[in-house]
Amino acid sequence: MRISLNWLKKYVNVKVSDEELVRLIGARLVEVEGVIDETHKYDNIYIVRVEKVEEIPDTHLTLCQINVGDVEVSKVEKNAEGLVQVVCGAPNVCEGMLAVWIAPGAVVPASVNEDAPFVIGKRKMLGKYESNGMLAGADELDFDDKHEKIAEINPAVAKPGDSLADVFELNDKILDIENKSLTHRPDCFGMIGFAREVAGILGLAFETSHFGHTQGRSAELTVLNEAFPNAIKISIEPSICARYTAIILEKHGELKQKYLTWQDTILAKSGMRPVDPVVNATNYLMLLTGQPLHAFDYDKFVAVGGKEKPEINVRLAKPGEELVLLDDKEIELNENDIVIASGEVPVALAGAMGGKSTEIDENTRNIILESATFSLYNLRKTQMAHGIFSEAITRFTKGQPPYQTLAVAEECAKMLSDGFKVAAVADKYPKSEETIVVKITTEEINNLLGTEYDKDLIVKTLENVEFAVKENGDLLEVTTPAWRTDIHIKEDIIEEVGRLLGYDNILPTLPLHQTAEPNKMWEFKKQIRGIMRRLGANELLTYSFVSGKLLEKAGQDPRNSYKIVNSISPELQYIRQSIVPSLLEKAYVNQKIPFDKFALYEINKVYQKAWGMDFEDVPVEKMQMGMVLAERKNTGTAYYKTKKYAEELLKELYISAKFLPLKGDLAVSKPFEPKRSAEIITEDGEVLGVVGEFKNSVRLNFKLAEYLAGFEFDIDKLIEKANGKKEIYLGEIEKRDLTVKTTGTYEEVIEKIEKVLVKNNVVAEITPISIYQPIGIKEKSISVHLDFHGKIDNTLMQELEKI
Amino acid sequence: MVELERLKQELKRVNAEYAGIRDIVAEQRAEFGRRINEKKMAILAKIAEAEKAALDAEVQAIDITAFTAPNEPVPEVYTQDNGSSHPLTTEIDRVCEIYQMMGFDVVESRQLDDEYHMFDSLNFAKGHPARDGYDTFRTEEGLIPPAHTSTMQHRVLKKYKDKLARGENIAVVVPGRVHRNEDVDATHEHTFYQCEGVYVSKDCNMGQMLGILREFFEKYYEQKLEIRTQPGYFPFTEPSLEFMIEKPRSLGGKKGDFLEMLGCGMIHPNVLKMAGIDPNEYHGFAWGGGMDRLVMLRYGLKDVRYFESGKLNFLREF
Repeated sequence: MRISLNWLKKYVNVKVSDEELVRLIGARLVEVEGVIDETHKYDNIYIVRVEKVEEIPDTHLTLCQINVGDVEVSKVEKNAEGLVQVVCGAPNVCEGMLAVWIAPGAVVPASVNEDAPFVIGKRKMLGKYESNGMLAGADELDFDDKHEKIAEINPAVAKPGDSLADVFELNDKILDIENKSLTHRPDCFGMIGFAREVAGILGLAFETSHFGHTQGRSAELTVLNEAFPNAIKISIEPSICARYTAIILEKHGELKQKYLTWQDTILAKSGMRPVDPVVNATNYLMLLTGQPLHAFDYDKFVAVGGKEKPEINVRLAKPGEELVLLDDKEIELNENDIVIASGEVPVALAGAMGGKSTEIDENTRNIILESATFSLYNLRKTQMAHGIFSEAITRFTKGQPPYQTLAVAEECAKMLSDGFKVAAVADKYPKSEETIVVKITTEEINNLLGTEYDKDLIVKTLENVEFAVKENGDLLEVTTPAWRTDIHIKEDIIEEVGRLLGYDNILPTLPLHQTAEPNKMWEFKKQIRGIMRRLGANELLTYSFVSGKLLEKAGQDPRNSYKIVNSISPELQYIRQSIVPSLLEKAYVNQKIPFDKFALYEINKVYQKAWGMDFEDVPVEKMQMGMVLAERKNTGTAYYKTKKYAEELLKELYISAKFLPLKGDLAVSKPFEPKRSAEIITEDGEVLGVVGEFKNSVRLNFKLAEYLAGFEFDIDKLIEKANGKKEIYLGEIEKRDLTVKTTGTYEEVIEKIEKVLVKNNVVAEITPISIYQPIGIKEKSISVHLDFHGKIDNTLMQELEKI
Repeated sequence: MVELERLKQELKRVNAEYAGIRDIVAEQRAEFGRRINEKKMAILAKIAEAEKAALDAEVQAIDITAFTAPNEPVPEVYTQDNGSSHPLTTEIDRVCEIYQMMGFDVVESRQLDDEYHMFDSLNFAKGHPARDGYDTFRTEEGLIPPAHTSTMQHRVLKKYKDKLARGENIAVVVPGRVHRNEDVDATHEHTFYQCEGVYVSKDCNMGQMLGILREFFEKYYEQKLEIRTQPGYFPFTEPSLEFMIEKPRSLGGKKGDFLEMLGCGMIHPNVLKMAGIDPNEYHGFAWGGGMDRLVMLRYGLKDVRYFESGKLNFLREF
C-alpha cells in the first residue's frame, strides 16, 4: 500500500519533520518498507495557456505559441508577444486550453526511475521549427499509461505560469507500506483510518466526523425518486454479506472528464491508474475510506436478469456456473465464491471483480452503485482459487466492517453529481454490529507493559483515536469505534496504549528465574558432531523434501513417504524416510566438483508412514544420523573404512555393539547390499543401525564411483545405550602378536580368543593387524595384537596359537 | 537369469501380438493398442527389476565382522583437517548455549506437524487469511511441515506448566527446521531454521521481554546494542512487535542501521488458556526469528542456498 504524505497531512496537523514522522509511523503503526521521494519529480513543469495553434503542412504536428506566465527558463526565448513556441502532436491541442509544459532542462516524470531519465531539450523539428520543451500527456506526467492526448487543466484551479507541483501538491513523499503487518486493521487501508492512527501517534485528537463520515445509518430503505418505485430488490445471505447498500444513479448531464484532476494524481500516487470518471470516483473513495465500491451498468444489469427491475441476489455460486470478468478472463465458479446475481444470473464475483456483462461504458445511462461487505473467509479462498489480487479484495480480506457502506456510497453519488442524480437508495443491513466495551484498569495496562503511565495519559491516548472512555473509579470502560473490529479483549487495549505511546519508551529489564535443565538429545548431537569432525567427516544439512525418483533410486517405496500436495517441484515432493539417500545425491555432487574422498554425514529428523502416529496423533518422528563415504580412486573394500567410522563413533560414545548379518528389510536398510552390510546390534539385541556398501543398482543409480559405503544410526537408541562408563587399566602391559589361520570369520576367531582368555582369567585388549590370504587358497591368516593386563606365561600363548 | 530370459520371451510375444492390430476394426484399434502397450510397459518394468537383481546378484559376500579385506591394509579414518561442522548447526548451538546461560531450557521443534499445533492452538481463526501469510506446505493427509517454530508453543506450555504450580517460570527456547512454499533465491529458502522463545510467569511484562532479547543479542554479538521495535501482527501474541537491533560494529554496522531480527509479543490469553494455563493468573511472552540470516551476517555469506547445497568447497571452510 502507498501513502502520500501530502494527502495524509490534509487530515493531520503534522508538526514534526518528515524523517521523524516516518520513524514514528514505523515504530508505532506499521512497517514502512521505503520512502519514495517525489519532491523534485515535477520540477520545471508549468501550467501554460495555448494561445495560437497552426498546423504544420503534411504532418500531424502543430506549431503552438504558449503563454508561460512570468516563468523564465534559460535559453528559452519568448517572442514579441511574450509567447514560447512548442511543436505538439496531440489531437486535442487547441487555442485557449490550459496545458502542462515540461520546460527544456526538466526530466520527464514518467522516466525518473529509468536508468537514464529523459531530459527534455530545445530542438529543431523537421529542420526548421524550433520547439521549446513539450506539452505533456498524463502518461508523460506518470498519472496514466495511455498515450492519447495532452493533459488539460481546469482554468478554475490554475493560471499560466503556475508550477504543476504547486497546483496538485506533487512535491510529495510516498510511503511504501508492508500490508502484512496490517492484516488485522481494515481501517488502516483507507487514508482516513491511517491518518487517525498517525494523529494518535503524534498525541493529537482525531475526529472522523470532520471529514463527513459518520458511524453508519439505520437500516431503512429510502426511495428518493418516484421514477424508480420499489426500485431495487436486494436479497442477501447475512453469513456471507453482512450489509449491501445500492444507490441507483440516473444520468442527467456530462461529467467534467476532460480535465486532469487532483483525484487523478492521488490515484497515481497510490499506485492505481485512472479508468473513467465513475470508476475513478469509486477508486478514490476506496483509497480514502477503505470501503471498495463497484458500479454496474443498470440497464445491462436488468437485461441480463431478465426482470423489469433489478433484483440483486448475493449468494454462493453453484457448481458449474461460469462468469466472464472485467479483464475478459472466463472463470468457473466454485461453491465457495460469493456472486452478485441479477435475478438468477451471476454478474460479478463479489468483492473481487465485476463481470463483463454489466460493465459501464460510454453509453451507460444509469448506474447501480454497490457498497457492501463480504465474508473475508470466502474471499480469501476466492482470491486463491482465481488468483485475483485487486485493491478491492486486498481490503475485503482484512474484514471491512459494515458501518460505513451507505455513507461512502452517498459520498460517491455526491462526487458524480455533475453527471448523475440519485434515483434510489437501498440498504440491506439485517443485523447491526454489537458495540464492544472493554473494562480495564490502568494497573493492568502498566503491569503487562512494564510501564508507569498515568490514567489521564492513557485515557487521552485512547480518546485521540476515538475510543470512548468512561472512568468508573479505577476502572476504564472503553467503547470501541465501529471500525475497530480487531478489539475484543483487555490485551487489545493494552496493545493500543503501548503502541501509540511507543514501545521504545518501555524500559528493558531482566527477570530473575531458575536455572535451565540440559537437553540430552541436544548435548548428545553436539558431542557426535565433535567426534565426527575429529574423524575428518563433513557435516551436511540437506532438504527434508526429496523426489519420488530419489527414493526409488535408493530402493525405498515412495508410498511409505508423506507426500506434499503443493510442492514447489517434483524434486521436493516427498518427506524423506532416512538420511542416506540425500547424502548419496550429495556424494555425486561432490565427486563431480571433484573431491576425491570424503565422509559426508547429517543428523536430522525423518518420517515414515509405516511408523504411524504418536500419542499426540502426529507422525512418529525419528532422529537419525546418516553417513556416506566415497572415494574416486580407491579399489579396496569401502565397507571396512566405513565400519571403522561406526566403531570409532561408538567407542567415543562408550557404546559396545556387534556387527551381525543384515536381516531386517526396513526402509532404512533398503539401499544397502545385504552381502556386504551389517546390522549394528547391542549385547541385548537392540538394533542401533546399519552399516555397509550399497547395492550395485543403487550405486549406479546415483552414478557414484565404486568405493562407496555408509551407515545410518537411530540417535534415540544411541542415547539410550551411551553409558559414559569406561574401565581404565593403569597397570603393566605385556604386548604379544598372534596369527590365527582360519576359514571362518574374524568374529569367530575373536570369540575363540576371548574364550581362552576368560578360561585363563586373563584380560587383554585386542587390536587387529592384518588379514592375509594367498590367491586360490581358502584359508586366511588373521593377525592381531594383544595387550595383556599383567604378565602372562607362554602356555597361554601356546593355547592361543592352537586356535 | 532364467526369469530374465522368460521375460524377454514374453516381451517378444507381446510385440508379435501388436502386429495383429491390422486385423482389428478401425474403431477398436486405439483400445487394442492401449491394452497391448500396458502389457508391454509392465513387462519392461519387470525386466528392469530382473536386470537390477542380476546386477546385485553378482556381488561377492564379505566377512562383515572383519576389520579389513584379505590382503588389504587396515583402513584409517580421514585426518582431522578434512573434518567440518555445518555453520548453521554450530551457530544454533551457540544461540542455545547463550539462552541456556540465561536460564532457558532447549526443546527441539518437530519437522512434520498438524494444523492444530501450527494454527489452531495459536489462536488463528479457522479459515482466517492470516494462515495464508505462512505459505505452508501440506501433505495428502493435511499434515504440515511447520512454517514456524511457534508450532511448538502449545506443547511447550503444556509440558512445563507444572513448573508454574511449583512457583517457577516457564523459560524455553525451541530451535528447529521450518519450511515455507517460497521460490528459492539468494535470500529465500523453502527450508530454513528458526529459534522460538517462550516465557511465562506470574508477573512478566513487555519490559522483561525487551530486556531478555537485548541481553541475548548483546551476548551473541559481544557488544552493547541499541534496540528498536515496530508494531506487528501475529494472532498468537497481543500486543505483537517486530524486534530490531542496531547493526553490530563487528558486521560493519553504522549508527542508525537497524536489522530486523524477530517477531515477538505477549502471549495471547487464548493460547495460554488452550494449554490449560489461567491467563488471569499468568502472563507470558514469546518470540521467533530466523537463524539463517544471523549466520549469514556473522560470516558475511551472500547466498542462503549455500547452506543446503552439500558442497564441500563451502562446508570445509567451517
